[in-house]
Amino acid sequence: MPTQDKQPVSPDILLGILKATMPFQVVSDAMLRRIAAISWKVSYRAGDTLYEAGGPADDLYIVVSGKIDHELAPGVNARRPMKTLGEGDVFGWAALLEKVPNRLAKAVCTEDALVIRINGEELLKTFESDPDAGDVVMSRFATMITRDYTVPDLIAQLRGIHRKLHARDAQGMNVTLYRVSRWLKSPRPYLMLLGLSIFFGCWYLAVEVFKLPRFREMPGITTVVTEWLNPNPVFGLSLYTEEYYKHIAVSVWRVTQAFLLATALGVPLGLFLGWSKGVKDYLFPIFEMLRPIPILAWVPIAIVMFVATESAVIFLTFLASFFATALNTMLGVESIDESYTRAANCLGASKSQVFFHVIVPGALPFVFTGLQISVGVSWFSLVAAEMVSGQYGLGYVINTSYTMVRYPTIIIGMITLGAVGYVTSAMVRVAGDYMMQWRVRELALGAR
Amino acid sequence: MSGQPGKLPGGAPTRGAIRIEDVVKIYDPGGASVMAVDHCNLDIAAGEICMIVGPSGCGKTTLLNAIAGFHEITSGRITLDGEVLCSTERPKSTPGSDRVVVFQNGALFPWKTNLDNVAFGPIMQGKLSKAEAREKALSMMADAGLNGVEHNFPGEVSSGVRRRIEIVRALMNDPKVLLLDEPYRALDSLTKSVMHEALLEIYYKNKVTIFFITHDLEEAIFLGHKVAIMTSRPCKPKKILTVDIPHPRDYGVLTSKRFRELIEETNEAVHEEAVKAFQSGEKEG
Repeated sequence: MPTQDKQPVSPDILLGILKATMPFQVVSDAMLRRIAAISWKVSYRAGDTLYEAGGPADDLYIVVSGKIDHELAPGVNARRPMKTLGEGDVFGWAALLEKVPNRLAKAVCTEDALVIRINGEELLKTFESDPDAGDVVMSRFATMITRDYTVPDLIAQLRGIHRKLHARDAQGMNVTLYRVSRWLKSPRPYLMLLGLSIFFGCWYLAVEVFKLPRFREMPGITTVVTEWLNPNPVFGLSLYTEEYYKHIAVSVWRVTQAFLLATALGVPLGLFLGWSKGVKDYLFPIFEMLRPIPILAWVPIAIVMFVATESAVIFLTFLASFFATALNTMLGVESIDESYTRAANCLGASKSQVFFHVIVPGALPFVFTGLQISVGVSWFSLVAAEMVSGQYGLGYVINTSYTMVRYPTIIIGMITLGAVGYVTSAMVRVAGDYMMQWRVRELALGAR
Repeated sequence: MSGQPGKLPGGAPTRGAIRIEDVVKIYDPGGASVMAVDHCNLDIAAGEICMIVGPSGCGKTTLLNAIAGFHEITSGRITLDGEVLCSTERPKSTPGSDRVVVFQNGALFPWKTNLDNVAFGPIMQGKLSKAEAREKALSMMADAGLNGVEHNFPGEVSSGVRRRIEIVRALMNDPKVLLLDEPYRALDSLTKSVMHEALLEIYYKNKVTIFFITHDLEEAIFLGHKVAIMTSRPCKPKKILTVDIPHPRDYGVLTSKRFRELIEETNEAVHEEAVKAFQSGEKEG
């Protein structure tokens, strides 16, 4: 790459040049001056190659005078790969792309040219120092790349200069991390800690300090914590025993099977209930009749139906989840604005296309609400089922500890149950965010 | 009639003529029946912008729903280019991509990106492959000045931009008629004025017949070749006005003498119906 006389540029001259370009038009003078400090001017002769596709993408270029032919490599999928650049055009923007370390195009000077070169990394650092302004410039780059270079696929890779969350970057895990960081900055986690300590404090005071009448038989917090952290637990169950994890694993596995089964059957059923009047007329009355029956009432039937206790437990766990999932999915379908199905009809979608392109995605927010309820419900029906029958599992631990008068173990089982249940419902929420990017982005915009 | 579509660049449009003949719509014919549309007759020429003006709840949307195929008519006949859409014998037409509706509250699918929304029609109809449809959608969006929002979701762009995308989505199907149901109702007046010019720009390129429902008289006269002022429920044309301001129009028209005259000429008729609608206590909608 021929580099002739790389010279610094006077800020005043550069200001004028940058203000005439599309991406930098809107930038404040103060920032332009900082950009001037990292800019160089370089001149080229006709016939010089500035860079080739595949070379390192280091600098961003701005044409001050002359003509440069810019040809995007075939792999980039530009609609119009050839472009002749003149005064005020900006190129070499691969230097600002996230996953692109190399040049995507070949740039050849066709008429003696003077260009400004700015190191991409340093430019990004400058933007990061003023994220609001940086963000504007980057979005103008996005527009320029789509419009002038006809490669819309790349704009997602323009590095975000975001202090706040901006919609373009709101993807899956990012959103979750963003929420966590916002949450930590708000007073909420500290209030939560305060709430928890008041709760545990009251427990401690009630049981161990004041020995209140109702709490006399209850294990105190110190007893529970000591037992939990004891390598040789008095009642046989603590963080150090293999048994403890076996119970957790068995319960988690049961809930997983029941939850997956409930989802696999409940979501399609709910979709059909909401979609087809006929299906609803047949099934909904039966559904509504079975739904209010509590899980415990199903226990005898479950034991009669399933000889093996394991399947009986899973069946009981499945039931409540299934109803929650199916009902919410049905409500989800019914909540879909009629305009969407009408619009799809207008646009020539067949009945099955309407189902897969409108009904299913449209119901998804409700489906995930249903799944969150479902996973919670599955935990409490699991415990009911495990208390009645089964070996192993957290419900079993709580029940046997009661009959065998191991009170601290009951509390250990309860707290573990709460924690594991919380984790599973958080997992469902994350899965929902992942599948409903559009909703996450809308909500993120609403929060701004 | 200097507002004739035939005077537009690129020759006279030949398709999209709608004829509404003696259409009656009675809701709930069994019990307490309400007549929404009363022996309505209206002729819309191919490539014409026809504005339907009337107070809220007068039954304009019923007419649109009958053309689009969302609702049945009780009697009468609606034809499109001579073909019967619906009639007394076959009261409900089948919705199709030759008559695309742009809805009052917008109906871009929020779960699809703007680009995929625009590409939706041809993909569903199997006319284009996914890649071809996206390609076409990109260039149509670019033509309508909608660069930079292709990969956003509808919820991330302003309502004005959403409306334009929805119109482009409709045009992707090369429809004979665009049916617009108060599309700019929720927009502020500044955005509205931009949208009007954008719509006209799109119209000059595509010359599709436009059936445009509104309750805004200025909007109607500014955009339309023809303005049908409807009576309040039951709905039928009270007065049909031919707007003799030549197209292409721009915002200068609003201050022109002729525009003011036309407003004055029609204002009374519209006001009368609005008062009637108000007194009969029809609900908004």
